[in-house]
Amino acid sequence: MNQAARKGLANLCIRASAVLVLFIVGSLSGCASLPQDAQQYGDGATPIELSETPFFPQERYQCGPAALMTVLTQSGVNTTLDSIVEQVYLPGKQGSLQMELMAATRASSRMPYQIDTSLSAIVGELQAGRPVLVLQNLGVGWIPRWHYAVVIGADPINDTVTLRSGTNRRRITNTQTFLRTWRRSGYWALVALQPGELPAGPDASRYFQAIAALESTGHVLEARSGWQAALDRWPDEPVAMFGLANVELALDNFTSAEDLYRQLLDKNPNSVSARNNLAHALARQGKNTEAMQQILVALDTVKDDAVMQAELQDSMAEIQQIALSENK
Amino acid sequence: MQFSSIHHFVCRLVSVAIISTGFVQISGAGVIGTQQMIDSEARQKQLSRVESFLLRQDVADQLIDFGVAPEMVMARIQHMTSAELAALEGKIGEQVAGGDALAIIGTVFLVLLILELVGVTDIFKSI
Repeated sequence: MNQAARKGLANLCIRASAVLVLFIVGSLSGCASLPQDAQQYGDGATPIELSETPFFPQERYQCGPAALMTVLTQSGVNTTLDSIVEQVYLPGKQGSLQMELMAATRASSRMPYQIDTSLSAIVGELQAGRPVLVLQNLGVGWIPRWHYAVVIGADPINDTVTLRSGTNRRRITNTQTFLRTWRRSGYWALVALQPGELPAGPDASRYFQAIAALESTGHVLEARSGWQAALDRWPDEPVAMFGLANVELALDNFTSAEDLYRQLLDKNPNSVSARNNLAHALARQGKNTEAMQQILVALDTVKDDAVMQAELQDSMAEIQQIALSENK
Repeated sequence: MQFSSIHHFVCRLVSVAIISTGFVQISGAGVIGTQQMIDSEARQKQLSRVESFLLRQDVADQLIDFGVAPEMVMARIQHMTSAELAALEGKIGEQVAGGDALAIIGTVFLVLLILELVGVTDIFKSI
């Protein structure tokens, strides 16, 4: 290689290094600016800290169990850290999955609810007395260090948030830094709600999904409290009425289920799901003829919907079965 | 090695047995569940019973592969919704797992890069 080429190559290396340094400094400081609405504390927010929140210092790689234990205990659940570790720690990943934290929250009869993706949503929960479990990436995108912690305080005057984090009982972090680490997880934040408790700024559809998830995983009584709270907040909401009716049916409260399905059908006569389930509520009370009539009415409205037709035919078979067993 | 693969096989067998017996159907036959109603209004795909069984089996196998004791697997997945199980199907390896573990390769690279920039190493230059 001649002298000129050597010099050119050296020059190129220096330039490449300079670009790399800029890139590293840029990504380490997270220089992309944070969206304005994500960093507001909320109207009239004052410094707040839930100092009575319990603290469970984490073992190696076990920030997930420790953080979940913190919010569950604060929500009145009586459990042990060992039991939570058994439910959410994944040895092969040296960590815990978000979905397993949600499942374990349900296992403790609490409702996992993902709050809005903003600082003011966290502050709102703190004001309601609930600490917030967050997922942070303490590293950067290409050297990730995923970490669960619990926000217990926020101070708009000093611009800090306070966390139960790792082995640190009171970790005080600059709010901008916290928001950058939180943003890398897509602002993932969870509260553990007691059955029937509403989040500070509830999103109806997300709240309904959270209750339906409890119902479909077998937590029927918790779901009932949830649907009742939903109906108090959003009266006449068809999803909530349907949900409560289903829970009553699952609990063998046939007449109250029947009432709720009928109320729903008064408002929305074309709801095939409600009519199908009304037929079940009737059949379980021995009103088989009436149940069959409801199925026939429903079948009439879904001529173009093969899936619903199949559902209704299943129901018809089920009702005939009930009728047969009664006649024996 | 021999033992390990037998052990693995037994674990799987146990997990199938647990999952086949442990799944509780909440609504009676023919009753439309609330989740199902919400999903069908959102035009989301309904899972058949077989599909939902296979989904559970897949997630259970993965959890065992990642070190969960077979007898704990059912307790862990029974509180997950079909949508959550579907999101994990075949993908636990790619999931974010909060646990403070650092990606070692990335760290080594960063250290090397700094060493390179301050002139200690010469790995990235080729002459």
